[in-house]
Amino acid sequence: MQLYAGVRVEPGLVNGPTVLFADIKVSGRVSDDKGLGLPGVSVKLKGTNTGTVTDAKGNYSLIVPDNGILVFSFTGTITKEVQVNNQKTIDVKLAEDVKTLNETVVIGYGTQSKKAVTGSVASIGYDKFKDRSYSNVTQSLAGQVAGVNISQGQGAPGVAPIIRIRGVSSITAGTNPLFVVDGVPLENFNLNLINSQDIASVEVLKDASSAAIYGSRGASGVILVTTKMGKSGKTDINVNLEYGSQKVARMIDMMDAQQWIQYYILAKNNSWTDLGGGRKASDPNSLRGNASTYKIPEEFINSPEQFGKGTDWQDVMFRVAPMKSGQLSVSGGTDKTQFLFSASYLDQDAVLDQNYYKRLSLRSNVKHNVSDKFTLGMNLSFTGIYDRTDGTQGKSDVIGLALQSDPFFPLYNENGNLGMADPNSIWNRYLQYNPVNLWHPYATTRFTDKQNKAFNTLAIGYAEYKILNNLKFRTSLNGNLGNNRYNYYLIKNQGYGFNQSLTPSTGTASSGYLLNWLNENTLNYDLKVKDHTFNVLAGYTVQKQHDEFQSATATNFPNDLVHTLNAGTVTSGTSTISEWSMISYLARLNYNYKNRYFLTSTIRRDGSSRFGINNKWGYFPSVSGAWIASDESFLANIKTISLLKLRASYGVAGNNQIPNYGSSSLLGQGNYVQGDALASGLITLNINNKDLKWEKTTQLNLGLDLGLFSNRLNFSAEYYKSITKDMLLNVPVPDISGFGTQLTNIGKMQNAGVELNVNTKNFTGDFKWSTDFNFSHNKNKVLQLGPNNAPIYFTDNETMVKTEVGQPISNFYGYKFDGVYLNQAQINNSVHEASTVPGDPIIRDVNGDGKITTDDRTVIGNYQPKFTAGIVNTFSYKGIELSFMFQGSYGGEIVNQNYRFLGYWNSGRNLYAKVNNYYRSEAEPGDGVNPRPTMVRKAFQSAFSTLWVEDASYLRLKNINVSYALPERLLKGTSLKTLRIYANADNVYLWSKYTGYDPENTTFSATSYSSNGTAANSGTVSSATPPGALIGLDYGSYPVPRVITVGLRASF
Amino acid sequence: CKKSFLELAPESNANAETFYKTKADMDLAVNAAYSTLYNVYDPEGPVSYTAEMMGDNTTLYIIAGNQTDKFAFKDYNLQTNNTMVYSFWRTYYSSLYSINIILSKLDDSELTATEKESVKAQMSFLRGLYYFNMVRLWGDVPIVTKPLSVEETYKVVRSPKADVYKLILDDLTFAAEKLPPTAVGRATQGAALTAKGEVYLTLNDKANATTALMSVYTSQNYKLQGTYAAVFGPTVKNTKESIFEIQYLGGASSISTGTYSKYYRNYSPNVNVFGFSGIGMNQVTDDLYNEYETGDPRRELSITLGFQNGAVFQEQKYPIKWIDPTAVKTDNNVLANNNFMVYRFADVLLMLSEATDDPKYLNEVRTRVNLPLFGTPGYPSAKYPTLALAIEHERRVELAIEFHRWFDLKRTGRAVAVLSAKGKPVTEKKLLLPIPETVRLQNGIITQNDGYN
Repeated sequence: MQLYAGVRVEPGLVNGPTVLFADIKVSGRVSDDKGLGLPGVSVKLKGTNTGTVTDAKGNYSLIVPDNGILVFSFTGTITKEVQVNNQKTIDVKLAEDVKTLNETVVIGYGTQSKKAVTGSVASIGYDKFKDRSYSNVTQSLAGQVAGVNISQGQGAPGVAPIIRIRGVSSITAGTNPLFVVDGVPLENFNLNLINSQDIASVEVLKDASSAAIYGSRGASGVILVTTKMGKSGKTDINVNLEYGSQKVARMIDMMDAQQWIQYYILAKNNSWTDLGGGRKASDPNSLRGNASTYKIPEEFINSPEQFGKGTDWQDVMFRVAPMKSGQLSVSGGTDKTQFLFSASYLDQDAVLDQNYYKRLSLRSNVKHNVSDKFTLGMNLSFTGIYDRTDGTQGKSDVIGLALQSDPFFPLYNENGNLGMADPNSIWNRYLQYNPVNLWHPYATTRFTDKQNKAFNTLAIGYAEYKILNNLKFRTSLNGNLGNNRYNYYLIKNQGYGFNQSLTPSTGTASSGYLLNWLNENTLNYDLKVKDHTFNVLAGYTVQKQHDEFQSATATNFPNDLVHTLNAGTVTSGTSTISEWSMISYLARLNYNYKNRYFLTSTIRRDGSSRFGINNKWGYFPSVSGAWIASDESFLANIKTISLLKLRASYGVAGNNQIPNYGSSSLLGQGNYVQGDALASGLITLNINNKDLKWEKTTQLNLGLDLGLFSNRLNFSAEYYKSITKDMLLNVPVPDISGFGTQLTNIGKMQNAGVELNVNTKNFTGDFKWSTDFNFSHNKNKVLQLGPNNAPIYFTDNETMVKTEVGQPISNFYGYKFDGVYLNQAQINNSVHEASTVPGDPIIRDVNGDGKITTDDRTVIGNYQPKFTAGIVNTFSYKGIELSFMFQGSYGGEIVNQNYRFLGYWNSGRNLYAKVNNYYRSEAEPGDGVNPRPTMVRKAFQSAFSTLWVEDASYLRLKNINVSYALPERLLKGTSLKTLRIYANADNVYLWSKYTGYDPENTTFSATSYSSNGTAANSGTVSSATPPGALIGLDYGSYPVPRVITVGLRASF
Repeated sequence: CKKSFLELAPESNANAETFYKTKADMDLAVNAAYSTLYNVYDPEGPVSYTAEMMGDNTTLYIIAGNQTDKFAFKDYNLQTNNTMVYSFWRTYYSSLYSINIILSKLDDSELTATEKESVKAQMSFLRGLYYFNMVRLWGDVPIVTKPLSVEETYKVVRSPKADVYKLILDDLTFAAEKLPPTAVGRATQGAALTAKGEVYLTLNDKANATTALMSVYTSQNYKLQGTYAAVFGPTVKNTKESIFEIQYLGGASSISTGTYSKYYRNYSPNVNVFGFSGIGMNQVTDDLYNEYETGDPRRELSITLGFQNGAVFQEQKYPIKWIDPTAVKTDNNVLANNNFMVYRFADVLLMLSEATDDPKYLNEVRTRVNLPLFGTPGYPSAKYPTLALAIEHERRVELAIEFHRWFDLKRTGRAVAVLSAKGKPVTEKKLLLPIPETVRLQNGIITQNDGYN
């Protein structure tokens, strides 16, 4: 009998050696689907504790009985068992676990297996955004999640996208979702402060039942961000280097100098002759009165060709801009301690002249098990951002100005200066013609010195103690410390750039500081009795934020050598402090029966300083359930159905996004003068409301998850309907009260919609092709408003939005424009304004009363799309992977508010090239859309009309990503574990009829309240309008550039 | 945590709940009530737009913001959705709140009886003055004499003009009785009586007008400044000629206190020498410039012909009564120091001639500027044959851009004749502003003025 090597002889047996079993050394390699070695895979002898883990390259060796069974298990893969059967080499491929139901997802105050999710939670893992070029992770999610509308209103680096989860639930309160970073709820948090490469997953809590655990802050949805943590095993070192280039892919077609000069001449001549009294277009300037109003520079008439095509101001302001980033992370650990350290640096020039964005972020996540019962951990991150951003403030900011600037004027005059204000320049004479009264875009970027600095530290410390095996106590103390500084210096005379005048130097320095601290205490209890599994969570949390802001301005700088305020005379200064606080109690019960029937119920009780003394506390309950029908015996035999799950939920969440002292009546400055001395005064600023409370959104969610053909086809559909009541409305009250508005809980709104997700694995095997498709539709309707259901109107520079019962919020409200009058007969046969002449716009008599009045305004659009959709196709073959994403939106409108400046004469600004098809005469009527040039337009003819409202539907090739992972054999003998190179293109191509840069552009962003309690605007809003009510108005926004990056990822 | 953890008082704003109690509180509140004059008489406020632009004195060329809405005043093309008209409406009612809140809290405050009476008289004067403005702008207006709850505001309709005038006269009469004869920079008896005189003139009650104005005339508290040049200037303040004067304080710190005077910048052309844009409000018409008689020194003291624009002199006439060449310019503002006179003695004299049909008072005004007296040879009587026309002319040049012209023309019933002769498409109905559309949308029971339906 042959003895195997290493035969063990049982010593107790004396009847000679009998072979019971033999131990052999088995070695092999564990790899993933693609053949890449998998480190850290647990390899165990079944039924024992004998085992090992694979090394960095996926290799293992182990001595086991020759008839044993090896169990290979690794997170995210299907566990595999292999009979040893005398094999000395066992190589194993672990298939990715397509039964994603075994994944865990992060939910509020804990995690849950995906199978047990009863509400509506979307989970996006690192792989979905790892190669994307955006500094804010939510930008990378746009188009990937049904029901989550993420749009980039402005393309400047660092500008957060507008996120709308399942529609918009408020008219005047804030509508930003709550951000929760590693468990810490942070209102209006800027996710640029978290390096995307540190993020393991992002979860979106969409329905009210999932969000109800966040109580008064959950109504606009919750976005949970979880950062990475090292795994026990060998230390991983990851390096990522990236280089990119950004470009404005779609410029706006503007008139050149020749076209503009002809328009200018005609506008002045028409206006002059319209005055009547025998005035003729041929009248020379000397006959055209004293003022410059009707005068035309002689050379415009005599030799316009000398100006050539003139200056393309967009070309002046935009550039191809590079971006570079580097990232290093080290992670790993032992059974007791896990850690992740990372550092990353991003250096991005922006496409707009002089603009840049630089970010350094450092992170340390450490967790240590002091004992079996006691665990401590701390996540510490520091982010510093230096940036300069212009162009996001709308019409009077540099991008708006670049469009408005006249093409006949050169970038530099003969003295090398910028503007016509240069007294020694031949261009100075144009001042007398009242040329467009503008600030100079290039002077604004070149002759101001400005910088934002933001520093943020987020520290999360926690301790967990197992009181019993199934009872865990967790306490955490978290702090978010933010500091912002802004320095601005306007250089004297701005290179004579500001067309009309010479401005002295001005300097501003401001700083903001915030400290947010949070203490959370939770108890978690697990119980399993036969087929019944219970998990109970109870918690108590306290949170407080303190904000400070200060600012000072100086003038009278002797020269431009020193830009700090000490060099000038400080002329004004201010500082403010603002606080809010919150106490919460929360509880959750998860129950399941046989892992087939699931029930979750939560409740949170929030108390907040923001609300009226009569309504400090609110309750937010929810209940939800799910049934995995496919696990029932009657479906278990149907092979095609791998999953059938039905979900239903109902819950209440709140919205607290109002100013910190919204319920109080505040006093503000109202100074007077007594003799030669100041007589300080105080004036009441607003009406108080002691009953002020949160807005409450109740939502019903029904969901169906279907997996077919071993989950090759996954389908998920959801229907929801939510009602928001007690809406926080800054209700316009009759002005005779002395005030324009009062912050009140009034009104109701409904959002209802459907969401579909389809995920298919079209090809598996070596060549893989998978498709992810998502579709969402939301319908928003106002059900009730303030007293008498009076509609709410907001106006910004003539554009009016109207919110009324039965309609979606913020309908565009204006006149119907029916082209231009082609002849006098047409005028005579129509309802028209007095003194209308051929070539003037036709305004429709909407109410048919035979007059054009303000009553002829009507609803002419709404920015909310009928549906949005996204599709991602991913192909892979061996180490090569290709994916591309299309994303689109259908059925919304956008107000091109620039039309007011660029659509027809406005103080001599430049115009859209398409306006060149204007009405010249009966014989040359142009395109019938663009009226005859004139400086003076009758009241309604220049008003907000359908002419300004454009189709915002679009299709976008949002992303293309190609990558190649070097085969492992090439890396043999190096210290490299993996090496991957990739190219990524974002915002690749846009199909849209929109005249402006991008139909996603909006100058106004979602309403949020800054620390001093006022609504933070991105654009300049004329009155106390919440900017969120004006989303969908583009008044000169920053284009979203195309970004192409190439990168390299290596792990050691 | 304690319950108080959630009760955070505002750190950077005082809380109105406990205010309006002590003497110190009330002093602050009264100052704030006076500060509403800054809004009502703002160079871009309601009185400026109507009294000058709707008359024939001033015009606009290019002006920032909603040009159409601003041009509509001079062009008599006001729509009900005119944003300026709406902002004027709000200006008046928010100003009235600042007055009414004081009056409503006065009884329960810690002030002495004398102090209470003084505050009440001052507030009554301001309220009377504002309603007098409002009734002339809109005709019937809602009367609000106390802070209203939101519910109450929906029940208040427009009161007939007669009721508004009754309130005005009650307020001004009380003020005239209780106010002191003199108080620098504050409402006085003289101010209340002058206002009352103008109210009676407007109501065509010349007897009562004469009584009120005569007591100002004979009070010995007021007289004309020696020269017209001595009436205006950044440091010419609260002279003997001044009857009610809005107090401003310029200088670097006024950028934060908000007490600087804006007339200088706002009346300078949009394009100018400040180093940033002026506003270009109330640019002077040739018609006003030509109204001055030859040799009238008031013309050059009131109006300048233009400005140096780069290499060229740009001709564009604009008012210079409130220029302050020494004003600090910062943050795109000109922190001027000039006060603005709502009422001055020359006005009283001219109103007295109107009330009494006696040219004596008018001639006092002409004497100061060395022009031939009415009724004497050399007076341009061909142009101004009657005393009424002489007063109209004299008021126009003496009080140019001081917010009187349009009200004067309306008072004498000459507005349509004079303005339509100058090409303005004016009708009797257009001599009232529309009730702002928003006001009627908010509360359907508020009616519209004829001509705007």
